[in-house]
Amino acid sequence: MAHPHTARSRTALIEAHDLRRWYGEADARVEVLRGVSLVVERGEYAAIVGASGSGKSTLLSILGCLDRPSAGSYSLAGEDVLALRDDRLSELRLREIGFVFQSFQLIPQLSVAENVEVPLFYAGVARGERRRRALAALERVGLSHRVHHLPTQLSGGEQQRSAIARALVHDPPLLLADEPTGNLDSETGRRILELIDAIHAEGRTVVLITHDRSVAEHAPRRIRIKDGTIESDERRGAAA
Amino acid sequence: MRLLEFAAIALRNLRGYALRSLLTTLGVVFGIASVVTMMALGRGAEEQILRQIDKLGITNVIVNSVKPPEDKSANAQRSWVLSYGLKFADRDQIVETVPGIDAVLPVHSYTERAWEGSSKGDVIVHGVTPEYFAATKTHVAKGRTLTEADERERRPVAVVHQQLLRSLGHYGDPIGYELLVGEQLYEVVGVLADEEFQGLMRKALKDPEHGENEVYVPYGTVLARIGTRSFSRRSGQFEATDIELNQMVVQVGRQGDVLPVAHMVRTLLERFHENRDYELVVPLELLAQRREYQRVFNIALLLIAAISLLVGGIGIANIMLATVTERTREIGIRRAIGAKRVHIMTQFLLETVLIAFAGGVLGIGTGWVGTQLMAGYTKWEAHFTPEVALSALVVACGVGILSGLFPAWRASHLDPIQALRHE
Ligand SMILES: Nc1ncnc2c1ncn2[C@@H]1O[C@H](COP(=O)(O)OP(=O)(O)OP(=O)(O)O)[C@@H](O)[C@H]1O
Ligand SMILES: [Mg+2]
Repeated sequence: MAHPHTARSRTALIEAHDLRRWYGEADARVEVLRGVSLVVERGEYAAIVGASGSGKSTLLSILGCLDRPSAGSYSLAGEDVLALRDDRLSELRLREIGFVFQSFQLIPQLSVAENVEVPLFYAGVARGERRRRALAALERVGLSHRVHHLPTQLSGGEQQRSAIARALVHDPPLLLADEPTGNLDSETGRRILELIDAIHAEGRTVVLITHDRSVAEHAPRRIRIKDGTIESDERRGAAA
Repeated sequence: MRLLEFAAIALRNLRGYALRSLLTTLGVVFGIASVVTMMALGRGAEEQILRQIDKLGITNVIVNSVKPPEDKSANAQRSWVLSYGLKFADRDQIVETVPGIDAVLPVHSYTERAWEGSSKGDVIVHGVTPEYFAATKTHVAKGRTLTEADERERRPVAVVHQQLLRSLGHYGDPIGYELLVGEQLYEVVGVLADEEFQGLMRKALKDPEHGENEVYVPYGTVLARIGTRSFSRRSGQFEATDIELNQMVVQVGRQGDVLPVAHMVRTLLERFHENRDYELVVPLELLAQRREYQRVFNIALLLIAAISLLVGGIGIANIMLATVTERTREIGIRRAIGAKRVHIMTQFLLETVLIAFAGGVLGIGTGWVGTQLMAGYTKWEAHFTPEVALSALVVACGVGILSGLFPAWRASHLDPIQALRHE
């Protein structure tokens, strides 16, 4: 069965030009991103690698419409992100992006299933439908036996999988994941990678950050960041 | 937007901090409770007084004889009969010279002892004309009031309070009972309705200590049988007084004439009674005074309400600001995965409104109990109406919205990425 996202593949989903991000002003100014230009086509699978503190998370936040660059231009799915009003930005996040945070970011008071339902709640999905889709997403990440647990009652890997379920539940075309296999043993990490492969195989675009060489080599495209700029950007099997 | 679902989330958050939420409502609870209590008591008092003033007759001007302040120079040469108060001549003067008057009803009263076998009780006998009952809205529950024929023929008949006969030990049919007052025998023809004869305004009219011991007999009968002198025992001493008229009820034809008539009566009496042995009671003036008091009371009430609710509201705002800080990360997460500012705003506003609403409901309950206790204890009247409760609820919700605005605005304007980093 052809997935809807495949139909539009091979067109640019992410188009960023000369992104800069600095903190502080004047003498105290720290420039974290120093001119990053990047195009990601629909259906691509890219891994961002680089040393700690090189600006990977900063870049991913901008790509995820959570943070605004200090300078540069960025369009996502054809929308000029920097020109959007705040609530249009919220709509864009909800429609286009599933985000897996480096530190999971589950809401501690809510059960796993309720956490997964949150995006659907803001998308206006009715209660019953919400629960049904949340359970389906949790089944997919292999957490059907943990739906009523609180995040604090889960292992790190289970929290990671809950976060992935939440990023997928509203069926976004773009998955952004910040170290989805960090802090996990290699076996659990491998299972999560398989899951991401499956998500990619559905036609979704995947951009993830990783420190893990094997994860990076597994991805068809590798983008290496150093000191806030792109040092290299290579596609596997593609003739340079 | 699905407000109910937001309300469910808000409720759940509040339950998560149950004790804190409860304490936060307290400010509103006490604010609203004091407001509704005062509103209920204020309305009750107003109603009661208006009714009493109305009973005095809004078109009446009442003049009472009062014992003048003791005069030292007069003391030396004081005769054994104390003579003061309104004279028959005053009545004639008023009738002849003051325009706009329908009638001036005379009242002559004296105190005596009533007997039934060996039991006795002090009574105050009012000699009144038949019109007196209608003019002062005094009604009988049984039998009849005094008639023209009673007056003309100076019949020895009386209208009394049932309570009086009971206290004398007569429990049978009051109508037809022969009441012995001093040396006079009166036949009871009417029993007064058990009304609030202890009412405030009646104190202005009559001897307050004799509320239920009043005996109404024809004016002519008293004058013919007793005359204007009366004797009483006070602290073991005999006291003889000579008062021609204990009271005059000046009936004015039109309400518009009441104040001019009162003014003329006052000037007239001032001329003949330098020793101030009379007092004027003008129900219409009392009404105006009463309205003024009520206005002041209402303003004070409003101020107290505003202050206590302001304090309650600040309490809510304060706690909500702390809550926003505490939940910064949650807000960041919600914003990052699709919540708009308006969603966050709604959620926090609903929390403060729910707190204030709960405070309002509890406050109304507390206020109701407080009102009942106060009213029961002080015998004040209370009007705890649905409007009182409803307006309190509206005000409580208003407090909730106002106190939530700033914290909710703060929450909705957090920068998502910074909020996510918040520890
Ligand atoms: N709000 C901020 N104010 C000042 N500096 C910041 C802020 N946020 C990030 N930085 C700086 O930006 C740099 C890049 O941070 P970033 O999180 O993007 O690194 P990273 O590449 O994701 O590192 P890691 O692999 O350790 O996650 C860091 O040196 C950090 O100190
Ligand atoms: Mg990072």
